[in-house]
Amino acid sequence: MAASADKKVSIEGTIRVSGAWALYPMMIKWAEEFKKIYPQVRIDVSAGGAGKGVTDALTGLVDIGMVSRELRPEEIRQKAFYVSVVKDAVFPTINSGNPVMKELSQKGLKKKFMQDMWVTGREMTWGELTGVNNNQKIRVYTRSDSCGAAETWAKYLGAKQEDLKGVAVYGDPGVAQAVRKDKTSLGYNNLNYAYDMKTGQPQSGLQVVPVDVNENGRVDSGEKLRTKKEAIKAILSGIYPSPPARDLYLVTKDSLRGASKVFVQWILSDGQKYVEEVGYLKLSARQIKEALNKTGK
Amino acid sequence: MFGEGLLKKRQIKEVLALYSGRLMLIFINALALLIFCGLLLKAQPILQTISISDLLFSSSWHPMKNEFGLFVFIVSTLEVTMLAMIIAVPVCLLAAIYLSEYASRHFREFARFIIDILAGIPSVVYGLCGVLVIVPLVGTIGELAGVSTTGYSLLAGGLVLAVMVIPFIISITVEVLRMVPEPIRECALALGATKWETIKYVVLKKAKRGIMAAVVLGFARAFGETMAVLMVVGNVALLPSSVFDPAYPLPALIANNYGEVMSIPLYDAALMSAALILMLVVALFSLTAHYTLLRIGETIER
Repeated sequence: MAASADKKVSIEGTIRVSGAWALYPMMIKWAEEFKKIYPQVRIDVSAGGAGKGVTDALTGLVDIGMVSRELRPEEIRQKAFYVSVVKDAVFPTINSGNPVMKELSQKGLKKKFMQDMWVTGREMTWGELTGVNNNQKIRVYTRSDSCGAAETWAKYLGAKQEDLKGVAVYGDPGVAQAVRKDKTSLGYNNLNYAYDMKTGQPQSGLQVVPVDVNENGRVDSGEKLRTKKEAIKAILSGIYPSPPARDLYLVTKDSLRGASKVFVQWILSDGQKYVEEVGYLKLSARQIKEALNKTGK
Repeated sequence: MFGEGLLKKRQIKEVLALYSGRLMLIFINALALLIFCGLLLKAQPILQTISISDLLFSSSWHPMKNEFGLFVFIVSTLEVTMLAMIIAVPVCLLAAIYLSEYASRHFREFARFIIDILAGIPSVVYGLCGVLVIVPLVGTIGELAGVSTTGYSLLAGGLVLAVMVIPFIISITVEVLRMVPEPIRECALALGATKWETIKYVVLKKAKRGIMAAVVLGFARAFGETMAVLMVVGNVALLPSSVFDPAYPLPALIANNYGEVMSIPLYDAALMSAALILMLVVALFSLTAHYTLLRIGETIER
């Protein structure tokens, strides 16, 4: 049964969704709006990391899994059907009371240093990082749940999630909380956990560290990440690299059926108008078209 | 005639009750066995690829490189549990003695009610409180002690766990202390012992076994606690060198990596073997507890 944006089909039942924290806020909004159109449909959304999303979807525990990393060959071999729905990115975050905030926002973080800290596990001080006199150790945080943010971050640094050093905390909000509590912390968060959804400023207690992508020792105007607006601009212009920018996927076993199919097709058509309002990035028109074709529309 | 019919009915009911009860019991016991066998079966692939000693005593955990050493996780589990017990046992013992020996019946009932509520709070809620309160607290303690710590540590895990097992151990300990017959207390008091001496030399001595059993049951419970500990313990697969270092217990390992099972062939088996180890340890503890509990009755009779 094909659903179109203008013709309403009658569907009912429950759609169960689980997985990536990165997609969670977006999915909540989509579920709300979708239920306004189809009041007989129930949508249960829970988060727990991209790994859980794939596993749940492939074992039939849920109808749709949210995934915030590329799918692995083993998963595709297990008949994972996936479509990309939106884009976001992972950003390095620090405590807003960080002792070398000023220098960091001028010089930015070099990839080499991040590899040192997260992959090699070299202990560094904030002074070493910015060339000022400060001997406070950098406390590095990572994610404990198997998730797209960590996988994407690791990929950017040329590693796997299991190689990431640092204190591992559960969930995206968990990392944000840990960074907020610790003045000398360095973590990473998805776009919508790094910035406040309503104001577009970094979450209270957090700051997003600009990445010195071209390694010229200072933060150029395109590299600035002071607000969500700037972050989105940096991703769209391609200056902020990919990864850590990435597509977010919905996954199911074999193919979409019934209410889930209508839901995902709605997400890829009418549902797209909520993307920017919630604070994600739209896929290109071509990607959307491809995704819709894939769902059989 | 009429009486006979009734008798028949009653007999049938009797037989039905006996058999259905028995069946349920067999079913429950079979379940434990089934879970055990299932885990063993699922863990087979890993046991065929690496030796048991590697699995238990190697500290190298890199699933992507097919290295599945569980040593760090096993040690972390033991350490977090021990720490929780060291914190919880004295608190429980003193609270239980107060409730059983000093408190009025009204107050005891009231406290029971509160303790039951505490026991019923979901693990995640304890975990959240841990992240918001205990982790910063441990960070501060570390600073005062001059250690660099994030607060996500063995100590935070132990504290959260202690808070979680306390209600459990208190309830059982109070039960055990109430089982000590009143005349014995009266004898001691009549001989001129103070209240505290009576408790120390008579009541506790009688109830020693039962208290041990309560502690062991608490242990078994603490062993498998997942969510709350996972949220505060730091999950770093390195042997902790102090209580301020992060640790990585077995249940946390299983819960965190459940999502990766799909993509790495041996991962599944490795996690199952972790679950198996966990189950064996808990079974061992429970057995010991049962064994001692069964013998309490005898000691008190004597």
